[in-house]
Amino acid sequence: FRFKDSLAEELRSADLVISHAGAGSCLEALEKGKPLIVVINDKLMDNHQLELAKQLHRDGCVLYCNCSTLVETLQSMDLSALKPFPPGQPEKFASFLDKVFGLQ
Amino acid sequence: TGGHTTEILRLLTCLSESYSPRHYVLADSDKMSEAKIRSFEQKRAETYSKSQFTLDRIPRSREVRQSWISSVVTTLYSILYSLPLTYKRKPDLILCNGPGTCVPVCLSAFLLGLLRIKRTIIVYVESICRVETLSLSGKILYYFSDYFIVQWPDLKKKYPKSVYLGRIV
Repeated sequence: FRFKDSLAEELRSADLVISHAGAGSCLEALEKGKPLIVVINDKLMDNHQLELAKQLHRDGCVLYCNCSTLVETLQSMDLSALKPFPPGQPEKFASFLDKVFGLQ
Repeated sequence: TGGHTTEILRLLTCLSESYSPRHYVLADSDKMSEAKIRSFEQKRAETYSKSQFTLDRIPRSREVRQSWISSVVTTLYSILYSLPLTYKRKPDLILCNGPGTCVPVCLSAFLLGLLRIKRTIIVYVESICRVETLSLSGKILYYFSDYFIVQWPDLKKKYPKSVYLGRIV
């Protein structure tokens, strides 16, 4: 398929996700608790897209490779070593704004 | 646009109905955000029946990787639209997270503040994608916002006037 409104169905039934480094794709997979391998395309990449992928890798949440090392990564991967990705906390933001406006 | 819309709607999830009515401003070329917004607001109306929102569009101020000089021109053109819109809505709070569209809106509010027409609090939340560097909108609005929120500690170190609350989306 080319474009679907949502990949939620596919994600739910997946055991492993292999994705480009777009933040939306990475976060969606991680939030569903799916092991994720991020593939960087050096030629297409916008430097800033790499920032999140690198950070997630540093945090041990994703595996990381480029197109040429993908096969090798798949062969040697240890998915159990991946750490869970804690969810963001929008309640902290709400709390902050409430303080700003004296609503607390 | 896309990712920005998803992030900003997440930021809104825990806000009380004090933050109402909500006025959404989109780029004219944005095809996907409207549906996401309507879906969010529809769900919200299930909990808060008096919930209100509006949706306006302004010309897109900058394409990805557009040159600096032409960006200034297209942003000025967007301001021609955002200024009357901001004047009409007179928001108490502007919340934005980085698409080019937010720059003309914030600058309009800033201008209306200077002219003593309306004092708007501008809160900018840099995208979660930004771990080490700020977006162009971020670099500009760091100086014009009242509160500049970053989601990773490296950015807090580089931009000391920013607020770090951890990951909020």
